[in-house]
Amino acid sequence: MVKPRLNRRELSARLSLAANARVCDSLTAAYVDSDDSYRIGITGPPGAGKSTLIGRLASTRLLRSDGDLALVVIDPTSAVSGGAVLGDRIRMEAVAGDPRVFIRSLASRSNLDGLAENLSDVLLVFESDGFKEIIVETVGVGQVEYAVRNLVDTMVLVLMPGVGDQVQAMKGGILEKADIYAIHKADLPGTTQLIAALNSVLKQKAPVAGSWAPMIVPTSVDNDESVDQLNAAIEKHRMWTKSSRTMSMVRARRRAYHVGSLVARRVSEVLDELSPEALTLPPAALYEMVILRLRANLPK
Amino acid sequence: MKAGPLRGKRILVAKPGLDGHDIGAKVIAIALRDAGAEVIYTGLRKTPESIAKIAIEEDVDAVGLSILSGSHRELVRDTIRCLADLHGHNVPLFVGGTIPVEDRPELLSLGVRRIFTSEMKLSDVVDSIVAALR
Repeated sequence: MVKPRLNRRELSARLSLAANARVCDSLTAAYVDSDDSYRIGITGPPGAGKSTLIGRLASTRLLRSDGDLALVVIDPTSAVSGGAVLGDRIRMEAVAGDPRVFIRSLASRSNLDGLAENLSDVLLVFESDGFKEIIVETVGVGQVEYAVRNLVDTMVLVLMPGVGDQVQAMKGGILEKADIYAIHKADLPGTTQLIAALNSVLKQKAPVAGSWAPMIVPTSVDNDESVDQLNAAIEKHRMWTKSSRTMSMVRARRRAYHVGSLVARRVSEVLDELSPEALTLPPAALYEMVILRLRANLPK
Repeated sequence: MKAGPLRGKRILVAKPGLDGHDIGAKVIAIALRDAGAEVIYTGLRKTPESIAKIAIEEDVDAVGLSILSGSHRELVRDTIRCLADLHGHNVPLFVGGTIPVEDRPELLSLGVRRIFTSEMKLSDVVDSIVAALR
């Protein structure tokens, strides 16, 4: 039986409900995992050109599909005011008006790993409304914020030339995690050096039989062909995931991240509620107090 | 973190029509962020249709239109119609920019909640939005 689709306003309200859910609400919401959706995560340092590239990539993917496409784009919350300016969609103009495209901007809020609070639930709301494909843009990240790995099927790391020697320093973190490396702004000097540095880092990992060999794709917004090549790499990885991962493996990983992020959020809530006196306790006693509060019932 | 008066609110700051000046819109966007709001900024030269689509997709609590072109009457009317087409009849609308005094009653009668001009103090604009969304 096919569930009737929500109208866009209803879907939007449902997304807000998921995004704003407290820990206890998220635990009882019981969104159902979708079996046949596909999620692409686009991540990389600030200014690498993620938003612009996503706009171009989205156009390319829409040409080859007849389904709807959701874009979930995340920007940082101000640690001073709690507010945020969400401006990623400015760079996605080419697809923003398309009736098949739904763009939702999220502020990171308390999340510190490059994603947004309740992102797990927001993605499931899209999927339960019949979206078969979602592109997630993380906030601009550093070397270790690769949590998006847990929630997407294909992870693209966008890098730009001029950071060649930083690649060496990154090799222990996010650089090990991507499926595809887009060397964006590849018309700028330094592209060859960056690709060479990246290749040498990736080659240090011994290939495991049956594992995915990461791909490096130079891209430039002035070059349609390069965006097509990125899309071809994504398609190749999509086919690979279909043959090498089971849905139960994917679900297990998503679930672990979802519950882990709720626990982390609850811990920071508990820490925020502690009195100044409690914070003078020795670490072991304070730890014990936090654990006790975590075990107490969730605020309803 | 200090909770600003607009904490939990999502506000769209939009530039409809053909004028290419968005310093004012950006100043407002940052002031609203500093008051705790999550502000979605559209960038320049948006049609009323696209502004309505963004407002619906982002589930905003209010839409602010920044208009310096003199076409405020048409742009406001069209934006209200486009919002209604997408089931967004009750989204509060604010207008800022160069709006002659004699045009203001008409905009207000169309349903605009507040009108702001460049002579106003930024803090008064924010206070007024806080009061209207309370």
